[in-house]
Amino acid sequence: MSSFFSILYVVVFLPSVVILYNIFPKKYRPFVLLIGSYVFFFSISGKLLLYLLFSTLSVHHIGLWLTDLQAERNAKLKLVEKTEKKELKSLYQTKQRRVVLFGVLLHIGILLVVKYTPFFMENINSIFAAFDVPVTLNIPKILMPIGISFYTLQAVSYIFDVYREIISADRNMSRVALYMGFFPTIMEGPICRYGETAHALYAGERTNYNGLTMGIQRILYGMLKKIVVADRLNILIKNVFDSGNQYDGGIVAVAAICYTVQLYMEFSGTMDLVIGTAQIFNIRLPENFRQPFFSKSVSDFWARWHITLGTFFKDYIFYPLSMSKPLKKLTSKARKHIGNHLGPLVAGAVALFCVWLCNGLWHGAGWNYIFFGMYHFVLILSGNIVEPYAKKLLEKLHINREGIAYHTFSVVRTVILVVIGEMFFRANGLSAGLSMFKSLITNFSLASFKDETILKLGMDIEDFIIVGITLLIVLVISIFKEKDINVREGIAKRNVVLRWGIYYALIIFIIIFGAYGRGYVPVDPIYANF
Amino acid sequence: MERLIEILEDIQPAADYETCETLIDDHILDSMAIIALVAELEDEFDITIPTVEIIPDNFNSAKAMYDMITRLQEED
Repeated sequence: MSSFFSILYVVVFLPSVVILYNIFPKKYRPFVLLIGSYVFFFSISGKLLLYLLFSTLSVHHIGLWLTDLQAERNAKLKLVEKTEKKELKSLYQTKQRRVVLFGVLLHIGILLVVKYTPFFMENINSIFAAFDVPVTLNIPKILMPIGISFYTLQAVSYIFDVYREIISADRNMSRVALYMGFFPTIMEGPICRYGETAHALYAGERTNYNGLTMGIQRILYGMLKKIVVADRLNILIKNVFDSGNQYDGGIVAVAAICYTVQLYMEFSGTMDLVIGTAQIFNIRLPENFRQPFFSKSVSDFWARWHITLGTFFKDYIFYPLSMSKPLKKLTSKARKHIGNHLGPLVAGAVALFCVWLCNGLWHGAGWNYIFFGMYHFVLILSGNIVEPYAKKLLEKLHINREGIAYHTFSVVRTVILVVIGEMFFRANGLSAGLSMFKSLITNFSLASFKDETILKLGMDIEDFIIVGITLLIVLVISIFKEKDINVREGIAKRNVVLRWGIYYALIIFIIIFGAYGRGYVPVDPIYANF
Repeated sequence: MERLIEILEDIQPAADYETCETLIDDHILDSMAIIALVAELEDEFDITIPTVEIIPDNFNSAKAMYDMITRLQEED
């Protein structure tokens, strides 16, 4: 199995797990999911499964360690005078913080070593070369287990949530193991919180008709996005990005737009498949997308795109940092000196910088990813700074912010900024990204459309038509969703002929127009590599 | 409660804090406003608001904030 979209997964693995899950009695069903998860992981990463097992064991142990400290503290609190309670609480908080620090460093440390060692060593070699130091470090090839970036964040959130007493540490090892390794979420998330998903994962509820049909329906929608659109766009994107400086700005713009579309279709399509799969097992997973291309600002976009990563950074980096004692003091002082608007932005900027540095690095070890993070940091911070001034200016100009014209302008502006960011994200290195951006600005031309060069890059006119029609379907569904109209439930309520007519049409559409077979190379899941 | 509403109006004037119950859900108070608000509430009411309390339920309305402040004062 190479991905959720391989024939082996869709036709053999998933149906087998669903059948076995329902054959076994309720109390054994979580183990069916757990064994299935490890089989899935092993089929992709082989013996690197040991990384996941180690993380599971350690996170389980650290959780218990914290809970035991909390129980010890609570027992002692009952025995001491009121005046001593504060000191006792402080003592145990320090002890717990040490455990949290150990746990977080352990898990993030493994991620850093596995994912970033070659990047750091390459940069050290570059520095040595720049200063004529005759030393070259050998860059080790470290194999990265699938999903390490995702399950590490889940481990960290588990440790923090136990520390904050949002959840109690789980003594049941297999429940923690299932939370860490549930096969649909292991490759690309969503990044789940223990308190929201672990008990549902372990409940072993039988598959019901509604969950099965709604799950399959959602899986099919995900396949439509991934196989028909994302995979079809791949050849053009690869051709242009592999030699970006050969093309004029018109082609670069098309490739950047196509990549943004591909990334959305691939990632949100995979999320549809993941959430649909969980639905079959009667498990509700958090949504990761909420019509991001209808966003009115970059900040709004990131509240709608990869939502579980955004909330992770907000809850475990942004607020803890901005609410730390030094930054709180800074906020109070800054508010007195530079006012209510700019004051909080000083501490906010520090926290926001850390969030976006982590966001960039989380996506990959490369300067283009760091640039991607900093690009969004600057856009979001400057958006926050100018907000009240922009509001006043628009009032003076009598422009209605809620009107359709300004709304459309805001959405288009956001999409353009996002596409530029994604271009750097996909570029083969930062200098390639800068070169493409230069071409976009200084060498923009429509000549490639007139002489049909655009049709010689891996997509002919039929390909563009198929992508266009599919995107139109996705757009219409997205508009309904934005208006809180549930299209899937609407279809499920229709009479049997219409309902199954739509399902069969969708299956046939995917089979006929899916980008697979001769002429197409199977496309690796993009986010699984982050 | 009156002092709390004064603080809120000082930080973000564009809301009816007497009635609004969706200050976070409707993005009336964004993360930067929350930073300012927490710093101000801690100074004014002599409390420490831990990160675990920074959840929408505690900041969606002035009443929810008031309840949180009272609870933290009692716990202290």
